[in-house]
Amino acid sequence: MWSVALIGAGRMGALHGANAARDRRLRLKYVVDHRGESAAALAGSLGARPADLATILADPEIAGVVVASSTDMHLEHCLAATAAGKAVFCEKPIDLDLDKARAAAPRLGDAPLLLGFNRRFDPDVAALKRALDAGAVGALETLHIVNHDPAAPPPGFIPTSGGLFRDFTIHDLDLARWLLGEEPVELYATASCLVDPEIGRLGDVDTARTLLRTASGRLCVISNTRRSGYGYDQRVEAYGAAGRVAIDNRRGDTVETATEEGALRSSILPDFPSRYAASYAAEMDHFADMLADGARPRAGFADGVAALALADACDRSHRTGRPVRLQS
Amino acid sequence: MFKIALIGAGRIGRIHAANAAAHPQIELACVVDPIEEAAASLADRHGVPVAGFDEALADPAIAGVVIASSTDTHLDYSLRAVAAGKAVFCEKPIDLDLERARSAASQFEGAPLFLGFNRRFDPNFQALRAKLASGVVGRLESLQITSNDPAPPPPSYVAVSGGLFKDMAIHDFDMARWLLDEEPVEVFAFGACLVDSEIGRLGDVDTARTVLRTASGKLCVISNSRRSGFGYDQRVEAFASGGMARADNVLESTLQVWSEEGARADRFQNFFLDRYAEAYRREMDHFAEVMGGATPAIGYRDGVQALVLAEAAAESARSGSVVRLA
Repeated sequence: MWSVALIGAGRMGALHGANAARDRRLRLKYVVDHRGESAAALAGSLGARPADLATILADPEIAGVVVASSTDMHLEHCLAATAAGKAVFCEKPIDLDLDKARAAAPRLGDAPLLLGFNRRFDPDVAALKRALDAGAVGALETLHIVNHDPAAPPPGFIPTSGGLFRDFTIHDLDLARWLLGEEPVELYATASCLVDPEIGRLGDVDTARTLLRTASGRLCVISNTRRSGYGYDQRVEAYGAAGRVAIDNRRGDTVETATEEGALRSSILPDFPSRYAASYAAEMDHFADMLADGARPRAGFADGVAALALADACDRSHRTGRPVRLQS
Repeated sequence: MFKIALIGAGRIGRIHAANAAAHPQIELACVVDPIEEAAASLADRHGVPVAGFDEALADPAIAGVVIASSTDTHLDYSLRAVAAGKAVFCEKPIDLDLERARSAASQFEGAPLFLGFNRRFDPNFQALRAKLASGVVGRLESLQITSNDPAPPPPSYVAVSGGLFKDMAIHDFDMARWLLDEEPVEVFAFGACLVDSEIGRLGDVDTARTVLRTASGKLCVISNSRRSGFGYDQRVEAFASGGMARADNVLESTLQVWSEEGARADRFQNFFLDRYAEAYRREMDHFAEVMGGATPAIGYRDGVQALVLAEAAAESARSGSVVRLA
């Protein structure tokens, strides 16, 4: 059993805390949150103790720290935990400021830091990656990633979110890098505010299309909206020289109702906790691999910086109305 | 009965001839083709005479002309047929040269010219558009058009095709305009040669992604490849404020085979003549309406606008810059 501490008792903290408490190789010992009541409540429900940051960093029994604090604290908490010799599992994004993130490279570049790009751990996405790696459709040529949220977040979330590209598209940018197996060298992003005018007044967008191109000419489209109106639309299509491999949405059940008006299938899964439940559990289990066997993180600091650099470039492209060439 | 002359006895000409011959209100009167053997063979099949183009135009009994000749003759034949007072059903594209196409504007003003963007007549895409128009999924916001050919054409075809954007994607540009119901004002495209390096040597691309944006901010992505490797991949997804409407591929059959490896559905219909057989029939239906006095559902201006978008996308792919349209 490896003892871990959780920083952050919000929505993601509760999700990761429950997975840590459930993992057979992990013991959730502490929950840290500057809001003491939240820490106490979550710790109580998971059989852990509320504590402060200094306590968990000083406790030699703590092998790993799960960072699920607010985004602006991610980097600071990663640095502190790493300096104390702990392995770290940090939620995405690593930071919203690319320069700040890059400045941490000397200290985090080789650290045992798992960055929470959860899609890499989704069983469907992993099966797609395996099929591509096995050459099931020949050499990969183009990729289409659909990531549509069910409903727009409250406007209060927007100002601190970093904007659609850094907050939301960043998942797809990481997925694109991982599946393309090659860094994008050029991108173009065009975006609109079509869902909620309040999002536009706050200087953000809610609908976007991003095109990526790699050095060898592989193309990728990323489709994003903050509101699908029909659930959490999560699909990937990969086109190879010999065919297409795709993953579709999952549904709550397999019921199909046929009437005179047509056939109706049950809704697709409504949100990220339901759609990606398995991926979060697999992520936590991979963190246990890191603690137990010294496994290298499947998504690390460099991936976080690379995805953030792409998100910054998307934002620039959208704001200038021009394609952006990326330095390799 | 409307008597028609068919110009062009090639692959698409044969389809239109068969649909005209089978149509209750249309009588195929003659076949015109500079290649005499082709003309004779198709005319024989339908028991009609071979004629010259001028001869067909001079016949007052002929109400309509179907133009399925090679692309470089579309504009000229259409102009002459319109001038002779005939209704015209012309295959896409109107021309490969935008300036030339534009210069014909005054002559096509109000003319009964029906341009054959067949996808607008596909039952699946018609049903999709009807759903959008009914408002059941709310206001359209963005569009994904997928159009992948099963296998690349021979390089000799690529050389005279006008390039991927004008030859192939032009269908999708028309589809985008039709579904968006708003003109795109901004175009950006990536093109790549990933399928056949010979296509690249001829200066064309075989794989492309194009993004269009309208004045109100609607977004549209068009995905094109000259070779899917799995059939003729023809799909549209329309994302709207109240949900999504999708028209999917048509399979050769509804057969599914289940084995230890998983479930396998039948192939997509592999060829455009199969996939769009019903669309071609409905086009001929509409041409009968046009000969009866109806306004063509797709006209000269649509042909020019699709060409504008195709040129803009080709220019964007070449220059790497965004093209803004007036």
